Amino acid sequence: MIKRWLAAVGVLCLVMAIPGTAFAADPARKTVRVGVTQAVDSMNPFLAVRLVSGSLQRWMYSFLTVPDSKTLQPSPDLAESWTTSPDGLTWTFKIRQAKWSDGQPITAADAAWTFNKMIDDDAAKTGNGPAVENFAGVTANGQELTIKLKAPQASMLDNPVPIMPKHVWEKVTDIAKYEANEYPAVGSGPYVAVEHKKDQFVRLAANKDYWRGAPKIDELQMIFYDNPATAIVGLKKGDIDLIGRLAPPDFESLKSDQNIVQWNTEGRRATYLQINHGATTSDDKPVGDGHPALKDPKVRQALHHAIDKQKLVDETQNGLARPSDGSIVPPMYKDFFWEATGAEKITYDAAKANQLLDEAGYQKGADGLRTMPDGSRKLQFRFSIHTDAPMEEKLAEYLTGWFKEIGIQLTTKRLDSSKFTEETGTTALFDIAISGWSVNPDPEEVLATHLCSRRPTASGEGGGTESFYCDPQYEELYKQQQKELDRGKRAEYIKQMEQRLYVDAPVIALYYPNNLEGYRKDRIAGITSIPEDKGMLYGGSGFWPFYTVTAVTASETAEDDGANTGLIVGVVAGALVLIGAAIFLVRRQRGAADERE
Amino acid sequence: MTVVTEVEAAPARHGLLRYAATKAGGALLSIAMVVVATFFLFRLLPGDPVRALAQGRNMTPEQLDLERARLGLDRSIPEQFLHFVGQTLRFDLGTSYEYKRPVLDLIGDRIWPTLLLTGTALVMAVSLGIWQGARAGWKPGSRFDKFSTAISLVLWSVPTFWLGLLLLMVFAAGVGPIPGVFPTRGIASVDAPDGFGYVLDVAQHMVLPCLTLVAVVYAQYLLVMRSSVLDEVGQDYITTARAKGLRDDDIRRRHAVPNALLPTVTLVFMRIGFVVGGAVTVEAIFSWPGLGQLFYEAIRVPDFTLMQGTFLLITVSVILMNTLADVIYHVLDPRVRSV
Repeated sequence: MIKRWLAAVGVLCLVMAIPGTAFAADPARKTVRVGVTQAVDSMNPFLAVRLVSGSLQRWMYSFLTVPDSKTLQPSPDLAESWTTSPDGLTWTFKIRQAKWSDGQPITAADAAWTFNKMIDDDAAKTGNGPAVENFAGVTANGQELTIKLKAPQASMLDNPVPIMPKHVWEKVTDIAKYEANEYPAVGSGPYVAVEHKKDQFVRLAANKDYWRGAPKIDELQMIFYDNPATAIVGLKKGDIDLIGRLAPPDFESLKSDQNIVQWNTEGRRATYLQINHGATTSDDKPVGDGHPALKDPKVRQALHHAIDKQKLVDETQNGLARPSDGSIVPPMYKDFFWEATGAEKITYDAAKANQLLDEAGYQKGADGLRTMPDGSRKLQFRFSIHTDAPMEEKLAEYLTGWFKEIGIQLTTKRLDSSKFTEETGTTALFDIAISGWSVNPDPEEVLATHLCSRRPTASGEGGGTESFYCDPQYEELYKQQQKELDRGKRAEYIKQMEQRLYVDAPVIALYYPNNLEGYRKDRIAGITSIPEDKGMLYGGSGFWPFYTVTAVTASETAEDDGANTGLIVGVVAGALVLIGAAIFLVRRQRGAADERE
Repeated sequence: MTVVTEVEAAPARHGLLRYAATKAGGALLSIAMVVVATFFLFRLLPGDPVRALAQGRNMTPEQLDLERARLGLDRSIPEQFLHFVGQTLRFDLGTSYEYKRPVLDLIGDRIWPTLLLTGTALVMAVSLGIWQGARAGWKPGSRFDKFSTAISLVLWSVPTFWLGLLLLMVFAAGVGPIPGVFPTRGIASVDAPDGFGYVLDVAQHMVLPCLTLVAVVYAQYLLVMRSSVLDEVGQDYITTARAKGLRDDDIRRRHAVPNALLPTVTLVFMRIGFVVGGAVTVEAIFSWPGLGQLFYEAIRVPDFTLMQGTFLLITVSVILMNTLADVIYHVLDPRVRSV
């Protein structure tokens, strides 16, 4: 009897095995499917904080300005043009004549409502709160938007807030509870979200009335995978067409596939070591338990000399990164990138490191370990990394080896991510920690993470510091760049800030990981990166690549017999199930009759 | 004969009620303790949820304070505790920090995919385990016994993640002559049709995760069943049945198996409790939008309310199912009743 059951289950399995193509939609429809390994936290832009939600907003909405697809400089989006008052405190934007996806005109009132909502309603600050922190007031007059600032702010043109349709959103009574799960969602971007199945996918249809012109595909899908390994299988199989933000091993596993283009370009991230050089709170009181030797810039410089960055790139990043001779701004941002040259450049040189430490009075003991000049403590540092991070483990091994050569002992301390954030950002219970930051086209945010004001308060509140740094020179330069509206002059200040970080070494930049992506060329006919010259696709979080993407239609691909085969298999399998069930029932009855005691 | 049964049945039923009431009381007490433990347990976890949420983002101290106040984290622990207990008694599990939605809603979204997947897998694993276990125990040392026991134990020892990924690579992506027919992720296709087509689509998505789950757990049912059948083999009633000239298969099926089922039933009921918890690893490999995955994400943030909610749900369902198992055992086995 169980055998028959198994047979029935087997037949059922057959039915289930009907290829998915049996349900393929309209073959002429051009669809591009992007795989992501993070689910959307909220479709409400006032609440969403995840990176993936930010990408989605770039597809669904317009912004005041966007980075130019060639130069990454701020360029018009909804704001056609803008002027600034001489004191830099009043910005006037001219909003372009365009329509929301529901046909209503876009006016300055929409933008004003969006910003004022964030200023007035604390709940609406969750998503992009800091972007309006410096706003004193926002008013609208027809297509003219006026923003008054509390202090000059050069990064005004990198505002990350999507402009929302006032006529739709002003009806929302409690923004904190609003999920924005009504479709089609009204927007002004190249795509309109038409369906969202939580933790599964988002479907977006082309916005035919998009003011730049309709996208060249009909539908864009964002498909969620819980883990990268499965997403790679999905790409190889063709369940998705493109995936970004790959780790080096996943990227390399795409090599053998002829249908997949490996997209390897400069990235927007810098990986660095954060050094506890005497952490203090925002009222300048010492905090934490950092090793006193690290307060000495000579020791930090010696550590810098002891690191073979090229080796780290080869061994921990499979060569898919660029060793850093600069600081926290990666080379892809050409206007703002700075790197050391000549005598200032710190090269891998263990002898030089030893010499620096000898001169500074850190003598080696019998065990090969150096001690403080006053003999109080040995140079034994902790290196804080995350748990379950194989790349960081490997990095720790190399650093331990190199530091040993200069008489410094390094022990690895593994922390789960929330504890890590606490110890390296608030309580300062660390000596050296791994860190990194993804930089926006305007680097102001990453520069701000090294300001005095970012240190935590005495009660351990707030913060957001990446280094506990507090340096008068750096602070002054920050203020200068904030006021400077001339891009070239501002870039000079920013480069000086990077130089300051490089020389003083509260952080030591190790390398700039490449932006690694992959896409199927049998599905995607063309896609333009941002910046257009060897830039990023999904990794850039911009709308440009997905606005310019062109697709190979389903009818042009090889699998065109799916529907018919599927149907035949389905019918045959269904018949088999019925026959199986009949046989089973008949035999069971007979069996019961035979075997009655 | 009938008279005797009726006389006996009445007090037995009465006894059962009393027994069930006692068990239910015990379960309620356990649940109350779980509620208290849940609250304090999750506050022992390291890390500040607000700071974790702010990680990698530009947030001022004022905003962090705002967020803390919004989540009720600025209140004292006893206050938070009373609030939590009050809410829980009203079946309100609070609002998730990360998703900004009521925890009960989130659970409601996720519970059906989980029940479908783990429930189906449980039924399949139990059927397979009982069937193979009964046959293996009936003829211990036979080729079938050695073979099936060995295979089940190998699968039991294989890491779930590895097995799932292997199945995925072979049967979803396709290797050599094997076509990749199964989807790589999720519970349904993006463009899944309605009606019967949808059912087929979901079934197709279920094959690989279900297979993975069954493969790694069915050994426990097999082994329990095998050993209890083994106990029955030498019993007198089996000899009697043989003497009556019954077919060997029938003796096994009609006499030995029903008697040997009891330990397996207990095991099954205990596992049903865990069905709700889902299978974190399998859900993660196949991007199955279930509760296990939700719980895992909640721990990563850490999202206190979401963790509390899912943890409560899982523990309460285990307690309820264990209680039910006790009661059913009482009904099924006269020996327990007489004690």
